[in-house]
Amino acid sequence: MAKITVDGTVIEVPDGSMLLPALLDHGVQVPHYCFHPKLSIDGSCRMCLVKVEGMPKLTISCNTPVRDGMVVDSRGPEVAKARQGVLELLLVNHPLDCPICDQAGECYLQDYAFEYGTREARTQEPRRKLLKRVDIGPRVVLDQERCILCRRCVRFCREISETAELAVFNMGDRSVIDTFPGEALTNDYSICTADICPVGALLSKDFHHKMRVWFIDEMESICPSCANGCNIKIGTARREIQRLLPRRNDAVNETWMCDYGRLRYGFVNDDRVRVPTVGRGTPAITATWDDALDEAARRLGALARTDGRALAAIVSPHLTNEELFVYGQLVAGGLRTAQRDAAIPLGPADDYLIKAEKAANGRGARDLGLAARSGELDLAAIRAGVETGTIRGLLVTGTDVWELWGERADIFERLETLVVVAANAHPLLGFADVVLPGLTFAEKNGTFTNHAGRVQRIRRALDPGEQPSDGDIFLALGRRLGMEIPPGPFEPAAVLREIVASVPAYRDVTWDAVGGLGVPTIEA
Amino acid sequence: MASRVVTVERPPRLRAVDTMGPLLIVRGLLVTARHFFRNLFAFMRGRRTIATILYPEEKMAWSPAMRGMPVLVQMENGKERCVACGLCEWACPVDCITIYPAETADEIERYPEIFDIDMSRCMFCGFCEEACPEEAIVMSQRVAIATTEWRGSLWHKRDLLVPVHELDPRLRYIRRGYDRPDVPTPAQTAERLEKR
Repeated sequence: MAKITVDGTVIEVPDGSMLLPALLDHGVQVPHYCFHPKLSIDGSCRMCLVKVEGMPKLTISCNTPVRDGMVVDSRGPEVAKARQGVLELLLVNHPLDCPICDQAGECYLQDYAFEYGTREARTQEPRRKLLKRVDIGPRVVLDQERCILCRRCVRFCREISETAELAVFNMGDRSVIDTFPGEALTNDYSICTADICPVGALLSKDFHHKMRVWFIDEMESICPSCANGCNIKIGTARREIQRLLPRRNDAVNETWMCDYGRLRYGFVNDDRVRVPTVGRGTPAITATWDDALDEAARRLGALARTDGRALAAIVSPHLTNEELFVYGQLVAGGLRTAQRDAAIPLGPADDYLIKAEKAANGRGARDLGLAARSGELDLAAIRAGVETGTIRGLLVTGTDVWELWGERADIFERLETLVVVAANAHPLLGFADVVLPGLTFAEKNGTFTNHAGRVQRIRRALDPGEQPSDGDIFLALGRRLGMEIPPGPFEPAAVLREIVASVPAYRDVTWDAVGGLGVPTIEA
Repeated sequence: MASRVVTVERPPRLRAVDTMGPLLIVRGLLVTARHFFRNLFAFMRGRRTIATILYPEEKMAWSPAMRGMPVLVQMENGKERCVACGLCEWACPVDCITIYPAETADEIERYPEIFDIDMSRCMFCGFCEEACPEEAIVMSQRVAIATTEWRGSLWHKRDLLVPVHELDPRLRYIRRGYDRPDVPTPAQTAERLEKR
């Protein structure tokens, strides 16, 4: 550790670290554009200038290694004047696009111009005219006039996505960011360039002109689209998800997330099932919650009483650990069957963040014993059972089983009883005797376990109103099927305590501890 | 309406007449009667001296500082000036503005696809006008906006658009604030704060 003096205060920083990250970690506000903790050092913006005693000139703190006994001035008059000059130069050609720019409100140039700028322009010359709305890729749009040439996006494409589509072309004041001729910004992480862009030069097409950022409420959660469990912030406004943003967690996703996961939130806003329905055929008859639960329990209970092997349960890997735990109890105690397996959709994977399991909690389902172990009936065996007629009733959570079984209507038509708990309209619901609407990840509290066994917290970002959560549905079904369940709603925190008590690998997990960056489970 | 300030000279102490109670009532009534008869005769002769305005046949000429219903400025090409930046929506203390932005192929790439003002909520504070960076929403002189049905108070973009020339007095009025020698520049303010 090296001891350095910053503005009269002595702080201890790790040896060999650069000055800027050390200052930022200690809460010293140093303005910067080109520095990013997960990218290499560029030193192109000149915004993080500080005064170091013994150095002849002001120096950029992002590229100055700390030295024991260093004396740093981070906000004196000399530094402030230099910053003002740097800002003035950056603003010489920056267009006055703020009212139509999506970055306005979370723009570093705006923030620093307010804090350190002069507020008055001294130039009379016209601003530089460059290309606006350049279609550089399927998911990202570029505005060259707004660019301040910090090269964060260029470094991202070279170092993180390793695709190197972007580069700075021309020299001096003619420099522009662009793609190489004939190439497009198509990598799987391309919208991250819009995240790290400190100004509004690179923008996500999905979020383009959609919502002003100051209307957005953010809630910390976990991406539901694959087993990696990237930490995200859910941005909501007008009772809908407006965007998903990555959240820093060095143990999982650093500060990135893939475009697939980022853009896959529409299912929360659209095509939702909100009312329970009873009976096959279209349109099915809508029912009250009590009637639908009674009907589901009557049908499942009749099968459970006659023959334990006539029933099977399909487990959705999109449920939280707490819901899975309660669901496991319902299957064992209410349906009295051991025939259950998780229906986990698979997709393409890469060697970085994208995992093949396209569901957030497949690991949780396995950890909590809801996936078929060796020797038990797995998904394929359940399908065979349905086709041969030994399995006559199915309780299905989620709708992935429809795709996994090849979208075959004849399989589901054979069933005597099909009860589905699902959040979205789906062809499978047409074959269901009872449909019970579930909630999506954005509407519930709970935990997911990612592919590496890290338990992470999801939080309610949207209020589902009166609609019961999936956990409440399982409890209500259990009570109707004669299980001994104390009255009261589904409480994820209490269920997690039960999980911790009964699953050895989860013994270090507590509700409060998983809240921030998650807790790894213990490998058995 | 511009207000006039009249300095009234008060007698330093009470005169003898001010202490005679019943007589004061007569004095007061005389004032009322004088105004009544003067106005009555003047009205009969057709030469009015009164300030009362016979609304709705007569209407007052308001100063441009008057804040009526907020409207959207329509440019000469028929389009709105508004770029749907959302600042008025944010500034509005009663949340009566709802904007849904969209993109066009024009040079100014953003416009409000939906711009609604709930006039039953609007309190005519003028914050929207003050927040607007484009002079696109201004307080008009329209005040007769009562409706007979509940939905009538929700104004949509097409009803809110007013041609720019009709709003000229107000636009000139709000521009007066931009260049005022009596208002300190940011640099002057900073200097003053530094001294303190």
